[in-house]
Amino acid sequence: MNQSVKWTMVLVMLIVAALLCLGLGEQWINPFAANGQDAVILWELRWPRLFIAFTVGGLLALAGAWFQVLLGNPLAEPYVLGVAGSASVGAVTALMIYPESALLMSVGAFVGAWIGISIVMAFAHLGSGRMLLAGVVLAAFWSALLALLLALLPRSELGLAFAWMMGDLSHSDLPIPLLLLTWGLALVCGFFLSRSLDALLLGERHAEALGIEVKRLRNRLLLLASAVTAIAVTAAGTIGFVGLVIPHLMRLLFGSLHRAVLPASAIGGGILLMLADSVARTIVAPSELPVGVLTAMIGVPVFLFLLLRRS
Amino acid sequence: MENLMHASRLSLQRGDDLLFNNLNLYIRSAEITVILGPNGAGKSSLLLALAGLIPADGDLQLQATAMSEYSRMEIATKVAWQGELPPTEFGLTVKQRLNLASDGEENLIPATKAMEIEALLNRPLAELSSGERQRVELAALMLRPAPIWLLDEPTAHLDIKHQVQCLNMMKKQANAGRAIVTVLHDLQQAMAVADQVVLIDGQGHAEAGPAGQMLDVDRLASLFDTPLIRQGKLLMPEYGDGI
Repeated sequence: MNQSVKWTMVLVMLIVAALLCLGLGEQWINPFAANGQDAVILWELRWPRLFIAFTVGGLLALAGAWFQVLLGNPLAEPYVLGVAGSASVGAVTALMIYPESALLMSVGAFVGAWIGISIVMAFAHLGSGRMLLAGVVLAAFWSALLALLLALLPRSELGLAFAWMMGDLSHSDLPIPLLLLTWGLALVCGFFLSRSLDALLLGERHAEALGIEVKRLRNRLLLLASAVTAIAVTAAGTIGFVGLVIPHLMRLLFGSLHRAVLPASAIGGGILLMLADSVARTIVAPSELPVGVLTAMIGVPVFLFLLLRRS
Repeated sequence: MENLMHASRLSLQRGDDLLFNNLNLYIRSAEITVILGPNGAGKSSLLLALAGLIPADGDLQLQATAMSEYSRMEIATKVAWQGELPPTEFGLTVKQRLNLASDGEENLIPATKAMEIEALLNRPLAELSSGERQRVELAALMLRPAPIWLLDEPTAHLDIKHQVQCLNMMKKQANAGRAIVTVLHDLQQAMAVADQVVLIDGQGHAEAGPAGQMLDVDRLASLFDTPLIRQGKLLMPEYGDGI
């Protein structure tokens, strides 16, 4: 199968997922012929939701791909490393200090994500296995800390905090144009870094011997992956495993060079989250499942399967 | 012969331990330098220091300019390094791995031919044996136009035929003017290719000199702390009564 056939497949999937995301819900709406009330639902609710799902999914998948290269381990991703957890702690802390400020919550999530990944990176010299283990243990720590903060949080803020923690695409605390801009910028950064990232797949020594300033590259990647994670987490709460499953699938499909893997992940993550969200709001209609529950239910078995296959 | 690199009063540490002190070494074009010494003496570390990949004390000049003056990219155009086998987790294929060492597709052919890996080009690295992966690494090195090549146990993992091919390739490259610095474990191989030898004893001493002088049976026996006997052009360990 050549590259253009594969890209066509991805684009067809994108269109199908978009149509499902627009059409499915409490009731089916034909995205091409919506009138009256349907048109309002379509334009005011479902289109914004589609954009949130697409950009957040893409950003999480990109962050996953970056973390995997950064840690030299294909099982790394923001959720597994506890970065999503530390971002949550940051966001909820901000919510405690100054209730209902989306901006402060974003800053909190960003700082939290950065602190989380910095701690994980301190284990880098012990090898990727231990680093991953450190991430897993930290994830448990952050969730305990989060539970503590939630116990202290005023009751009025609890609903907001819970919805955010389980992944909520129904509204975003960040404006949609900002999300799209971030998605585009992340993709452009990824494009310029792709050759260096490929070299990093050989390990740091080899990359350095090929002329890459590895330390600088790692710092950039760290900043980029933390920022992207923080923005995705701020917009939609913590949604796990998109960053694990999608880069893995895209490597199977396109090979491991980042020129293809990064854009394919940016689109593929969007597709997965659009599909997951369509299902999440349909199967228990008129109620909704948190989308994070659904991605974890898909993601955990895939993660375990990958672990088994690696040993 | 041209002086490409000059190390003077070079000393290296691993953690708090001194590996060696005061090494003076010239790396010249068209010459093969073999680094010998017991396990853990610092042979690979010396290569890494020559590649600018780890810091070393003393003075290290690359083409008459201090190593620290160069950017990573500039060093990479002058020095190529072959070291440990790269990880395979991410599913790189042989061809993709080789393309990371060089941009031109057409350059691939002579290197893949020399290392007999043409049939492996589209296979993922993870599916290869360690000997095959070692040949891929050697082919990747051959794609680098740098005038200095540093090789860390290039014959490791290789069967006898490919060991010979590898040594011949190094000899040919040296004859074509390249400076080759290589860590070897096999004394016969060292005797077959060395123009210059660096001995690192693992007790803080390192010394460079012409091969004829350095590959002395008593000297090597004390370096490796193992009885050796010379039979014609061969240097062999004395296995003793246990075998």
